[in-house]
Amino acid sequence: MKAGRVALHLAMAAAALVFVAPVCWMLVMSFLPESEIFQPVPHWWPEQPTWSNYIELWKRAEEAPVPRWFLNSALVAAVGTSSYLLISSMAAYAFSRLTFPGRDMVFFLVLATLVIPGQVTIIPVFLLLQRLGWFNTYYALIVPGLSGVFGVFLLRQFFLTIPRELEEAAVMDGCSRAAIYRSVILPIGKPAIATLGIFSFLGSWNDFMLPLIAVNENEMRTLPVGLMIFLGRYTMQYGLVMAAAVVATIPVIVIFLLFQRHIVRGVVLTGLKG
Amino acid sequence: MNGRTEERLTGYLFVAPYLVVFVAFLAVPVAYGLYISLHDWHVLGQSRPFVGFANYAALLRDDLFHRALINTAYFALLTVLPGNAVSLLLALGLNARVRGETFFKTLYYLPVVLSVAVTAIIWRWLYSTEFGIINHYLSAMGGPRLAWLNSPALAMPSLGLMSIWWGAGGNMLIYLAGLRGIPDEYYEAARMDGAGAWARFRHVTLPLLRPALLFCLVMSLIGSSQVFGQSYILTGGGPHYSTLTVVLYMYQTGFSLYRMGYACAVAYVLFALVLGLTVVQYRLVAGRREDMAA
Repeated sequence: MKAGRVALHLAMAAAALVFVAPVCWMLVMSFLPESEIFQPVPHWWPEQPTWSNYIELWKRAEEAPVPRWFLNSALVAAVGTSSYLLISSMAAYAFSRLTFPGRDMVFFLVLATLVIPGQVTIIPVFLLLQRLGWFNTYYALIVPGLSGVFGVFLLRQFFLTIPRELEEAAVMDGCSRAAIYRSVILPIGKPAIATLGIFSFLGSWNDFMLPLIAVNENEMRTLPVGLMIFLGRYTMQYGLVMAAAVVATIPVIVIFLLFQRHIVRGVVLTGLKG
Repeated sequence: MNGRTEERLTGYLFVAPYLVVFVAFLAVPVAYGLYISLHDWHVLGQSRPFVGFANYAALLRDDLFHRALINTAYFALLTVLPGNAVSLLLALGLNARVRGETFFKTLYYLPVVLSVAVTAIIWRWLYSTEFGIINHYLSAMGGPRLAWLNSPALAMPSLGLMSIWWGAGGNMLIYLAGLRGIPDEYYEAARMDGAGAWARFRHVTLPLLRPALLFCLVMSLIGSSQVFGQSYILTGGGPHYSTLTVVLYMYQTGFSLYRMGYACAVAYVLFALVLGLTVVQYRLVAGRREDMAA
């Protein structure tokens, strides 16, 4: 039995190595001088660690503006996520708590679109963005992503579990429905909203398809599409490519480590996968 | 203003912002895409004549589209069952009261938070024929140096392996939650009856994990039918169209050849396929409910 336990732990550690070593290798390679990269025997640890790839990354900001892409990604993810949380929670409150004609029919229509894969609408969205004059703007990078149904669905489910008595007390005190949303629903709904926010931020930061078709100016790119262009241009300077990848990855890893519990619970509750 | 009017008004006002975005960027595009698919819609064309179902009819005879369908099915075959097996194995390990469970869980999940671009950058280097770490250890053990991404036979399996690495942690968490929900008494009872480890897995774990298995398998299948970034970034659909997937074909038709009508027809065929898979899922879930009622 003892031997079995040891074998189990060894197998788990080996699996962990498989999942983590490639990520570590990205980090190590970003600190390798060019002379150590193209070696017949891979270097798992830099003999002469150097910041030169990062410095070079900064120097090349004219032709491949990684810092600008980083800011674009941050802006799009931050503004996108906060807008998404606001409008989704408002709609979820109305769908779960307020009675108005047409409510259930509208909610059913919204819900029905859950089965539509995102790629189905990508060409019409592209043509719409052109027609609106939004192509190559931040609107194009942010607004289409706010249409996602999942947030409304998830928050509505959560709001339905909030006891009505809490609101009735507020109504007695003369609160308006809008005030109840702010002072009762939002504070109690915080855990669900936070979880949705984390997934929405990660999803936006990592999104590839929408930024690919929403903009084509180099200065307007977000990191994922920018990285692909970067990879194409500097194929032979892999240390530089790895440094760019590290820059794109640090924020998501920090968020992941900080909010692990939220993420684990979120996946289990919703089937979302980051 | 009385209470009911206020409630209605607030209701409309609160739904309005989301609904505007929903209509503009989801509902309208769905209908607009269908409309475009019925036209010969070239971005640079002077006219966009209505052609009925001609685009769909052309897809039936389009060898490249068939290739893309087969490739996508192949990708699903390579990733759905093997990927879920990996996720389930990891979850079983985590559920066996290992030390450092949270630590292991964190490491297994880590790749899930990476973007497809970062994943592709890492794996392109791992797969490098001359300098890649995989070939290095393979040849150190006396194996051949393989052209992972550059040979038509290996390119798709390589993308599949990378995708499993990238995504296994997600389903792992769902399986782990499912395993945690199985009461210990069931295993003890099975043990009393003399059931070995395999018998306990086969007759206790698997049946009780069925909802999670069903959910994960169907979601993986739907996800794999939409695979795009991996082949777009790493192989561009090649070599020799061996990694051309349905969504990549749609993208190339629309954004390289500017044939929007034809590309939208591809999108709608994909939609029909995904819808079909979803219906099958509901059937299976309904079947399970009947099982339980019986």
